[in-house]
Amino acid sequence: MKRWLSLLALLLTSACGGVPRSDVSLCGSGGRLRVGLVGAEEGQLESAAGVLADREQFRLRELLTVASRCEVQLEPVVSPEQARLRLKNGGWDLAFLPPGLTAYALEQNGGYGLVRQLGRRGNSKSQLLVKASRGLTSRADLRGQRLGLLPRGSLSGFYLPLFNLHGLRFSEVHYALSYARLREMLHDDKVDVIAWDGAIPHGMDGFEVLHEDSHLIPLGALALSQPLLQADHQPFLRQLDENVTQLPRSLGYASGVLPEPYALKELRAIVAAVEGWSLPQGGQAYTVYGAKSATIAGQGGNR
Amino acid sequence: MSPIKRLFPEPGQRPLRQQLAITLTAILTLSILVAVLLLNLLFGWQARELIDQRAAFFMDAMLSVRAYTSKKVNPIVAPLNQGAGLFRPEAVPSFSAQTVAGLLKDNPDYREYSYREAALNPTNLRDKADSFETGIIEKFRRDPSLKRQSGSKATPLGVVHFVAQPIKVSKESCLVCHSTPQRAPASQLLAYGDSSGFGWKMNEIVGTQIVTVPQKAVFAAKDRSLIATAGLMTLAFAGVGIITNLVLNQLILRPMREISRKAEEASVIPATVNFEERERRDEIGLLARSFERMKQSLAISMQMLKDRKG
Repeated sequence: MKRWLSLLALLLTSACGGVPRSDVSLCGSGGRLRVGLVGAEEGQLESAAGVLADREQFRLRELLTVASRCEVQLEPVVSPEQARLRLKNGGWDLAFLPPGLTAYALEQNGGYGLVRQLGRRGNSKSQLLVKASRGLTSRADLRGQRLGLLPRGSLSGFYLPLFNLHGLRFSEVHYALSYARLREMLHDDKVDVIAWDGAIPHGMDGFEVLHEDSHLIPLGALALSQPLLQADHQPFLRQLDENVTQLPRSLGYASGVLPEPYALKELRAIVAAVEGWSLPQGGQAYTVYGAKSATIAGQGGNR
Repeated sequence: MSPIKRLFPEPGQRPLRQQLAITLTAILTLSILVAVLLLNLLFGWQARELIDQRAAFFMDAMLSVRAYTSKKVNPIVAPLNQGAGLFRPEAVPSFSAQTVAGLLKDNPDYREYSYREAALNPTNLRDKADSFETGIIEKFRRDPSLKRQSGSKATPLGVVHFVAQPIKVSKESCLVCHSTPQRAPASQLLAYGDSSGFGWKMNEIVGTQIVTVPQKAVFAAKDRSLIATAGLMTLAFAGVGIITNLVLNQLILRPMREISRKAEEASVIPATVNFEERERRDEIGLLARSFERMKQSLAISMQMLKDRKG
């Protein structure tokens, strides 16, 4: 009799003890998990290079569905500007971000937090590339020239170049979605100077680096929206950590590794400062001008 | 003896009341089982009809949003996308329909509904068809007369009912954004690149609109209705059984037991017994009259025997 009673007590305890941890769902608004997929690398030679193959995307979506127990809406994005808008509007619950957008996400009044490190250590640095034949040797020589940038949201292709060109006026500013397209524009004399990523060989004779930013571009991160950070997100992360082999290798998901926020500290200040400026419209003249925060004053600017 | 034979022995081996109770129980149980099976089919059919209706309504609502965007919003917003500024997706019918569906999902009542426009080669990679959706699109492409597909779809979160319709390039205006990067607005190229969403042709089926509606809740409601109906039927049949038994007892069994008792008494002293039931006009009255005649015959016979002895 006693044995039966203890068995009954055990059954009742396990029945009332809640669902197993792995069954906890992690959903955003509308019961969905809206996932932004920009990739881990800052700047790509080709805009499509950051896009995962179909099979990898489907596998990622399935893993996220199983881990979150929600309907997953996976949105691969090639334009950092589009990604920036999604982050600004809180359009993603979870995002695989490169460093520029990671810094931007952290600036969204605590809208996002970083939960895992992405990418592999590289030698990414923001550069300004010109045609050697143009005789442009210093940033001061760029006054009145035409500038080519990646869309807003890119660290090496937008924020750092603008920060380093502070005080200069350009006759035109043009945008391209990839470094390859920017290089083409420079080659075809459609612009006079372009933003470039030092980790990518420019692969053409006649180009030279006019300026290289001193900041080493940090790693990307997996960002989680604040409501999900406040929810129990550990089982979800555990699932991802345990199934890291199912995640696309190009994401460089670092199992169990939290991002280093101090590596982004100065770049966050730069992103915040540039975001506070009135920013260039495509095809129009633009003076790079705006307030700099106290922590970064004295850096950048033309010499 | 087998349990069935023990339960249903040869007729006349048990009291009538028991025989009737067992027979009634067997008939009513069988009736309930057959009724539940038929009702299960009927309720299941009704549930599927309901799911289909909901899916059709949801699909029609999304098509209306598309039509509104196409006719009223696109002409105003699309010109703004021509420059190299920010691309405004509000001009795109697919974007508006999916956004409205997303807003609908914010209402907990519609959380399990979904609407998706999946394409083999979409502009926004969010709309890239997965293997299931690719299968549906390919079927539409193989058979252009096919206007609709529906069925159940297993997902990691459970089974859902889907209804799909083809997306066909039927307007020349679609090709502005989807034929070649050269024709596409600059803002679109800056937002989505030049490697996807191009190469569409007139009258080509390029994707599918899929709505999914939950079937778990509908089928759970169906099961609850079925259980409630079966319970009510059992209660009603049990009531019928009890009342039948009481009526039988009152109308047949009790008078029969009384007649039997009187018949036994009459076999010893016929003169003291009176079959009052003979006044009845039913079979019990008939039986009582027969016994009354038998009693009188017996009394005459006994009197004759007594006179002969005397």
